[in-house]
This record gives sequence, C-alpha cells and structure tokens, in this order.
Amino acid sequence: MADAASGSADKSVQVKLVLLGEAAVGKSSVVLRFVSNEFQANKEPTIGAAFLTQKCRLEDRVLRYEIWDTAGQERFHSLAPMYYRNAQAAVVVYDVTKASSLEKAKTWVKELQRQANPNIVIALAGNKVDLVQPSPAAAGSSIAESEDEADDATATPGEAGADASEAESLRQVPREEAQAYAEEAGLLFFETSAKTGEGVVEVFTEIAKKIPIEHILASSRGAAGRPGTGGNRPAGQDGVNLDESQTKGKDACNC
Amino acid sequence: MATISTQLRNFKEPDKDEQALLFFSIPSSGSSGKGQEGKPTSDSHEKMEINAVLSLGGQSQEDPYAGRLHLIPPYLAFSSLDRKSVKFTLPLCTIRRVERLNARAGIYALSFSLWHGMKIVVQLTSLRPTADLFCELLSKALKVELQAGRMKSVKGFSKTCYSENLVLESSPVADNEREDGSLIDGGEKVGDGGAPIFHGGLGLRFKFPGDPKKLREASKTKLWTNYLRVHGRHLTLLRYPQCTRLVQVGLPNRLRGEMWETLSGSIYLRFANPGTYEQILEENKGRNNTSTEEIEKDLHRSLPEFPAYQSEEGIGALRRVLQAYSFKNPETGYCQAMNILAAAILIYMSEEQAFWLLEVICDRLLPGYYSTTMHGTLLDQRVFESLVTRCLPMIHDHFEAVDVQLSVASLPWFLSLYINSMPMVFAFRIVDCFFCMGPKVLFQVGLGQYTSLTNAILKINGEKLLQIQDDGQFIHLMRDYFSSLGDSAHPDSPDPRARAITRFQELLLVSFREFAIITDDTIYAERRRFRGEIITSIESFSKRSSIRNLKSLERFSKDQVGLIYDALFKAICVEPPPAPVPPPVTLLTTKDAVEERPETRIELRTFRVFLSEIATWARDEKVVINGFQQRVDREVAEHELIDRLFYFWDSSFRGSLSFQDLVTGLDGVMFNDLMENIEWFFNLHDKNKDGFLTKDEVLTLSESMLFIFRFEIGDAYLGAISRFMSNAFEYGDALLPQNEEDAGEDALTTPIESNQPYLNLATFRMVVLADEVLESFFETDLSASFRLEPVPLMELPATNSGFLGGIWSNIATEDNKKLFHKLSDEVGKTIGKHHVVHRPSIGRYTRIEEPRARESLLTPGMRRSPSKSSLSPTSPTAAEAPPAAAVSTTSLAPSTASTDTTLSPAEYNSLSLVQAANAALMERTPFAIDDAGDEDDSDEDDSDSEEDDGVLDEVDAFLEAHDSGVTDADRALAKDLINAEPVKQ
Repeated sequence: MADAASGSADKSVQVKLVLLGEAAVGKSSVVLRFVSNEFQANKEPTIGAAFLTQKCRLEDRVLRYEIWDTAGQERFHSLAPMYYRNAQAAVVVYDVTKASSLEKAKTWVKELQRQANPNIVIALAGNKVDLVQPSPAAAGSSIAESEDEADDATATPGEAGADASEAESLRQVPREEAQAYAEEAGLLFFETSAKTGEGVVEVFTEIAKKIPIEHILASSRGAAGRPGTGGNRPAGQDGVNLDESQTKGKDACNC
Repeated sequence: MATISTQLRNFKEPDKDEQALLFFSIPSSGSSGKGQEGKPTSDSHEKMEINAVLSLGGQSQEDPYAGRLHLIPPYLAFSSLDRKSVKFTLPLCTIRRVERLNARAGIYALSFSLWHGMKIVVQLTSLRPTADLFCELLSKALKVELQAGRMKSVKGFSKTCYSENLVLESSPVADNEREDGSLIDGGEKVGDGGAPIFHGGLGLRFKFPGDPKKLREASKTKLWTNYLRVHGRHLTLLRYPQCTRLVQVGLPNRLRGEMWETLSGSIYLRFANPGTYEQILEENKGRNNTSTEEIEKDLHRSLPEFPAYQSEEGIGALRRVLQAYSFKNPETGYCQAMNILAAAILIYMSEEQAFWLLEVICDRLLPGYYSTTMHGTLLDQRVFESLVTRCLPMIHDHFEAVDVQLSVASLPWFLSLYINSMPMVFAFRIVDCFFCMGPKVLFQVGLGQYTSLTNAILKINGEKLLQIQDDGQFIHLMRDYFSSLGDSAHPDSPDPRARAITRFQELLLVSFREFAIITDDTIYAERRRFRGEIITSIESFSKRSSIRNLKSLERFSKDQVGLIYDALFKAICVEPPPAPVPPPVTLLTTKDAVEERPETRIELRTFRVFLSEIATWARDEKVVINGFQQRVDREVAEHELIDRLFYFWDSSFRGSLSFQDLVTGLDGVMFNDLMENIEWFFNLHDKNKDGFLTKDEVLTLSESMLFIFRFEIGDAYLGAISRFMSNAFEYGDALLPQNEEDAGEDALTTPIESNQPYLNLATFRMVVLADEVLESFFETDLSASFRLEPVPLMELPATNSGFLGGIWSNIATEDNKKLFHKLSDEVGKTIGKHHVVHRPSIGRYTRIEEPRARESLLTPGMRRSPSKSSLSPTSPTAAEAPPAAAVSTTSLAPSTASTDTTLSPAEYNSLSLVQAANAALMERTPFAIDDAGDEDDSDEDDSDSEEDDGVLDEVDAFLEAHDSGVTDADRALAKDLINAEPVKQ
C-alpha cells in the first residue's frame, strides 16, 4: 500500500467537496462552469444531489475534486449530512441579488462548522455578480424586466443592458458586508458569476491551496480497509491545469 | 427549521378497510374534495365483501376468475384471489342494471350490465344468507346513487375521455394520426364548440417525446382499442392479465394520460369532484402562499428541453397545477421534484387530470415523499437498502465495505420516478408500470438496475461494480448505464432477435421476473419495520438544527438546551400548538421577510405542559404506594402563576412563545443568585413594570408562593408567607413617604388604593431577607426548582402491532396501565397498604419543625408595634379555635366589618395579620400532607389562639380597607387553593 499513500506527483489526490446554499442561487451552474466551462440558462433543480468530478493541477500535484452539488430547497436540508459527511471542502453559495440567501448561507456555515469534518475548508461565494455589473451590451430591455427575471432564480437578467447604477441597485448584499462576515467566520470569500465565468475557477484553486493535502494523504493511509485509496483508481486522463478546464459535458448531469 | 413537528408520530397504519381502499385505488372520503354537494360518500353505507367468481360476457374469451367481491359504496370492486390477475373498481353509478340470474339450483349469480354495454356475471359462492345480505346492501347502495342523480353524470364525463373516441371510431385510429402521434385535424374529436372535448396533454400540440415509429404507436393503439372495447374503459375498466401486459410494453402516447389516471385511480377523484380544480384556482386567484415563490423559481427548470416548457402555454399550465396543489395541500405545499413530475404528466394529460393525479401520487402512492420532512422518501430509501441487503447481499456487503450509501444514487430515482434519471421514453414506461402495479415497481426497477448493471458490467469488464471505491465512481457507473439503456443488451449475439433486445427491455424483464417476490405487502411490511427508526432520526435531526438555529443558547450548555427542547417536544406532543403560521405580512415587509420560515410557537395550554416538565411546582406529583408498586402520578398543575410566567416570557407580546423565548426565559431564572431571584420574582409580579408592586400584587405574589409551597412538609413556608405578608404591609406602610412626614394620621385618612404603586424592590428585598425560610428559597431553591432532567422517552407508535399501530396502540397501552394502576390501588386499599403522598416541590424541610424567623431588619423605631410578639407563645387552646379555613377565606374576601376599625392605629398592626395567618396555619392539611404531623401542629401554631375573636375582626377590617382590588378570579382561585381537599390516604 506504500505506493498508494506516497502521493507522488502523478497520483491524484481525491478531495470531496460539497456545494450548499439556498435554492436557485446557482450552485449547479457554478459547478457546471467549473467542470465543463458551460452555462445553461434554465438548469433543472437538483433533486437530492448531483455528482461531478474535475481534476485540478496544483504545482506538482493533481487534485481530483469529487463534487457533490446538493439540492437547495429547505426540505432537502435533512439529506445534506449524507453529502457533507467526510467532505474536505465546501462551497457555500448565495445570490448577491437576494439578501435572504446570505442568511441561509450563514446557517449552512454554522452547521458545517459544527457538524462536518473539523478541518473542512469553507468558501463563501456570492454568485450572479453579472447581474449587478454594468453590461456593455446595451439592449433596449427595461430594468423592470431584469427584476422579474431576477426573481426567477437561475434566469439571468444580465443580458438586459442596465447601466451601472441600475445594475448596482439590484444588489442586495454589499460585497463588503459579505466579506466582513467571511473574514470573521474564517471563510474564503469570492464573488462569482457562473454565467460569465468570473471568479469560478478561483474558488476551486484557492480551496486547493488551502486544503491540507498531506493530511488527506495521511488519513487515507490510515483507512487501511480501503484497498488502493487514492492510488489504484482507474488512472483516467492526465490531470489538467485549471485554466484549461476540460470539457466533460456528458459527465455533468443530474442523477 | 424553526418548526417543530410531531406529525410523524400521528402516523397510523392503515386498517383493513383502508388497505382495501388503497388496494382498489378508491379515494378515501377524507381525501376527496368533499364536494359542494356535500353528499356523505360512504359513511352511511355498509361495506361488505364476499367470495365470488367473475366471468365476463360478450365477445371476450377471458376465463372466469375466483376472487373477492367488495362493496365499498359508492364503488363495487373485485380482485382475483392472487390479487394481481384480475381487478376492477367500478363506481356504482356506472351500473345500469343488476339481475339475479335464474340459473341452476344452489347457484347464486348476479348479472351486471354496465354503462358501456358490457355484461359481467358474478357468482356469489358464499353461503346463501351472506349472499342475500350482500344483495340487499348492494341494492341499497345503488338506490342512493340513483337518487343522487349520479347515474346521469357518467355520460358527460365519458366524453372527456379519449378512449371513448378511440373505441367509437370504426376505423382504426392510426389512420387518422400523423407518424408523430399529433393531431391531424379536429375531425371527429372536436366537439360542438370546436374544441376537442376529451382531455389531453401538451404533447398533442407540442409532439410527444420519442419516435412514434420506433415506439410502435400504431399497433399499440390498435391492441388497446380492442382491449378497451371488450373490457370497458376509464371508469369501467376491467383489468385482466392482458391489460398489465399491454402496460408493460408501454402505453401509446395519446392514451397514456387517461390510462394513468384510470390505473392510478385518480380518475375517480376527477369524476367525484367536477369543477374542483377550476374552483381552487378561482378562489386563490392573485393569492400567494409560501410555495408560490418556490414554484416560480422552478417553472423554467422543469423538463426545459421539452418544447412546451419553452412557451407560456406550458409554463402556465405547470404553474396552475402546482399552485392548485399547494393551495389544496398547504402542509405539503411544494417540493422540488414535484415540478418534474407535474411537467412530465402534463405532456400526456390535461391540467385537471394532472392535478388529481398529482394528488394521488403525493397522497397515496408515495405518501410523505414530498412532505416538509420528506419522511416518506427517507423511509423508502431505508426499505430499499434493506431489500438490496436481502436480494443482492453481495452488492450490499460490498457497498458497506467501501462506505458507500446506496441512497446517494437511488434517492433521486424514487423522488422523480426515474424521470430525470434515464432517457424520458424509458422513464415513462416505468411510470406506466408504476401506476398500474403500484409503488413496488420503483423498488423492483431499482433492484433490477443493480442486477442488470452488475450483469452487464460483468460481461464487459469483469467485476467492475465490485471494485467501486467511493460514491463518485458508483454514480458514474450508474449514469453510464442509464444513458445506454437504448443500446442492445446483447450486441455480440449472432441472433438478430437477441441483438434487438435493448438494455431497457432486459431491465424490465429482470425487474419484474427476478423480483416478483417483492409485492406491495412486502413494501408495507418493510415500511412498518423501519418507520420508528426513520422518525427517530428525523426528530433528532430537527432537534439538532432547532438548537443550532437558536439565536442564543444563553448560559446553557448544548445538552441543557437539548433537555429544554425535549420538554418542549413532549409538551407539543401532548398539547399540539396551532399550525405554524408565517409572520404576519405587513405593507412594510419586504419580499425576503415573507420568505422567513414559519416558526413553531406554543400557546398557554402547551406551555403549562412544558413547564410541568421543568418546574417542580408546576406539576402535581403524587407518590402512590399500594403494597404492590410504588409509582408517581404526575399531573399538570394550573395556576395563575404559570399563566403569569407565560406572559412574562412573551417578550414580543404575541401571545405565544418560541423555543428561543423559552430558553431565554429559563435563563432568566435558572442562573440567579439570591438578589437576582428576588428581583426576578418581584418583576414577575410587577405587571406594569413601574418598579412598584401594588397591594394587590403583593397579595398575588403571596398566593404564588403559597402555590409553589403547596406540597411542602411542615409549616415553615406557610409561616414564612404569613410573616412575609405582615412584614410587607407593615414596612410598606412604614416606608410610604407621607407616613414619614406626617406621623400616621394623614396616611391613614388617605389609605393608599390597592392598585396604586405600593412596595418597591428595595422594600420587598428587605422583607424577604427578614425571613430565613424565604431567603433560602430565593437563594437556591427557586432556581433549583427549574430542573432540566431527561424527559422520559416518548414512546413511538408501535410498529409491530399490525392493525393496532400508531397512536391507538399508544392509547391502548396507556389505558391498560391506568387500568392496572386502578386495580392495584383498589387491592391496596382493601389490604390497607394504599398511601398517596404528594411529592413536595422544594423538599427542603423533611420535618415539620419551623425554623425561627430572623430578627426584623427594621429598627424598632420604624415599627408601630412589636412584631416579635407575633411569635410569642400563648396558651395552647388551638383546638378550640374556629376553623381556620374560615379565617383564611375571609382574609381574602370582602368582609362586612366597619371601616372604623381599620382606622384605629392601635389595632392596625402587624400582629393582627400574623395572627390571622398563624391561625390559618392550623388548617394545615391543604399544604402539608403528613399524618405524623398532626400532633405537632398544636404545639406550634396555637400561639395566638386566645385572641381569636379580636383577630378575626381585625383581619376583616384590615382586608376591607386593602383588599378590595382583588379580582373575583383571584379570589376564587385563592379559595380553591385554600379549600383544596386534603389529600389523605
């Protein structure tokens, strides 16, 4: 089992990551952007949870993210422990255009900090920033339309050409506020847009940097009952650099 | 998460009648819309079942089947003995004629002519009198239907069914259809108004999924047309083995919606509740509920690839169906996955049909799946896991070894009926079977998948499934398998026919053949087995998150708060609070505030139970010893003090308390030291929070203490309270500002009103500290009387008691216990070993003796009379004293004595009060229950008895002047307390 545990450069380190957050803040879209660099305007709600993987090269090491994208609706909450069990990282997503979603994010953080793996790395991501940025493509659509769509969850009114102030008025969570909270709670903090791709990859690279890889290797070494952990898995393709996000569209479906 | 639900505990296993209703897909009277006509559906009619042999007349070649004929007004139902070959559920109003057949002697047979002209013959094989009774009930039930005029409604209803069209057309329908199954023209299918009169789904306009040629729509339709012509259709469908077979090869698209509602039984709901769907929409037009926004979020995310859901037409239909459901079932509301279900069924059926089908799915077929706790889902996942263990032990062991949870993959399958897990055409075929054969199909297909997957993978890749190391790989494998369902199962076979068999076909084959042993009864039994486990885990989860979501734990530890939660949970079980309502929406509330989750808040009734779990004095505990057993009977006490505490803790003035309120409230008393406790008790009684107690409030406060001490042994507390009262009034008067200025007279001429500010905290503190007994009470005992102790585990509804499941068995055992107790008490009484002792709330004094009161803190100069004299021993003539109960009663009631006496400063002194109270002590029984104490009484308490008469007068006079503000209720309460029956033996 020595080779399995060695964690040499060509072996990937498995990192279990879970996405949590209120319904329709764009959890699945963030993952889809990360995993296959795609964006779907109307993504079906996640039932239970979806599973995706993506590799990520960090210096001499390859991390293989096993991503559990969970359902956001309140009543699925009781299923979440099944998915964050043993997770080494979590991305808690909120919607910058919806103040209540940050509140929900905070309760998730609280829960993770109390119930999950004590070494878990948590990142807070304010998604849909494209909605609150001035869009260069000025179309004739009115702001009212944008607001409508904003309620519509994953719908993306960013296409409406609102000018800076109008766009900014959609924002309900000031960056500073969320950042202050993240610092206080010891979280990584990002603002992202799954639609434009802004900030998405950074979330995962920063997590990768912060993950105690040696620790993971050590603990998988400890799990002697699991033959070949980390080592004997089907080797798959070579690890990819994050910036050349590999397209694995077919893999990315709900199930 | 702020709601605390005990609803899971109210689950009741279906009894035999309900099981029959389930089996025959008959709507229970409760779940039907209970129409505006208000016809009692089945209550007034008797149900009956009888052995029978069914044969079908006309052109059919069906064999006769033996089985049971059920009369479940307003339905007649039959099932063959194996419970699966033949089955029907006929609304009685579809029966046009019943005749007793004049056959051979000894044969009792009935012939039924049905609305469709079908004729079925039922031979009743039970004994003659039974058969006669059955016929009598049947004819009664038929008459009711006739009188209700429901016979006529069948015709109109049948026009809404596509199958009527199919059968009426002489030419095969296939000629009329395009290849894709969409409508060529209105033609015969268009009614007078020009609109199609039969119900249909969005697929009619937007095309059905799948290639109709590949699906062999035409030949399937033909087979069904023939079957329906002979075996009846929609309301009158008779299900023979051929029907199930036809379902298993897949329903034709245009008939699918109607067959779904027929097979699932939702058609009976639609038939029985005409117009209800529109009415619900109309009534709730423009209204929002908690689900509205959640639904909006998902409308564009429901089968978005289907063209109808890219148009307002499809989205609108979906919105209306989901909203109508959430308005009709506010408890369930809306759960993600329902959007996928609704979107899927709307492809094949009209909104009204879909609405009722959704109702049947959520209510009957998948109970609890979409509820707020999703307990049904969790339960069935547990059941599924257990079935995998049993049927595929190898797979189960392997998953266990690598720590993979099966439900990780299977949960979405079950929740969305496989619709977004496998290609739609295949998923719909599973759904066909699901409606026809029941929920067991989901399990069978799940098991089939693991089997096929293993088989398939074994063939290709060796034991790949068994090499899975974690959840992720496992999910990948499943996904690959699902997307390859259309592939050939035997691609390398030389036989072209074998090559044509798809993996999907093989899956169904394996599922239904190898797992035929799994029946609905298996599922029910397994659900019964695991229900307790699931409920416990859900409850402990919601406990954890309730605690986590508290804004503050105050000074409690997590475990302590857990105990508070347990007490609250028990109280909610005993006295359910009203359903949680979202906070009132005001004009100022923002959209986000509306989203705030409703919160469980308890009312006074529930609070009493809660407090009785925690505060020793808020319950009446009787220790019963009867020679056989010693037990503690506990009852919830009622007292004004408890109500007062409730409002004291209701800091937001909402007339109800949240979990947080309780935690904060308890925090306010449980960590107090002496001074804090005195202040707390003072504030509790200072209603207007002005920092002063009125005279009334001083009396109420004394009553509160009397209540707390009601079961204490000995007289210490009673004496203390009497001293407290005398001191309170003495010092109160002494410290009144005007008294200090004008020595006496003026103050007395303007006596302070009983509802005026009178006693401030400092004085109160002084009075309390003047007494050792009260001091020790406030120092530790008050805080300690709130005890966080483990609440005895609430019994879960017994799961193994079969029909007597649920709460009923609970009650039954409770009753049995009571019965047993009563019996043993009786026996105990006859052999003279029966004792009942009230358990004291504080329990500091185990002996009767009274600690000496402390020296007063007041300097003698401030005193108007030597209060010490109150304690001076006097001649022991107590036995002759007038019944003290009278004294205490009058002391709180208006008396007729003249006010003049009051004004005499000489008599208006503390002595009188103390004497009165001490006299009251002699009536000890309400407060002290101790047989041995009787002799000691006289020694201690008769000190003042020689002055009895004078005392009485003075007390009367005193109270006349100061007690007028006591409300009748307070008085009655006090009276009750004081006159409470002594608890002897």
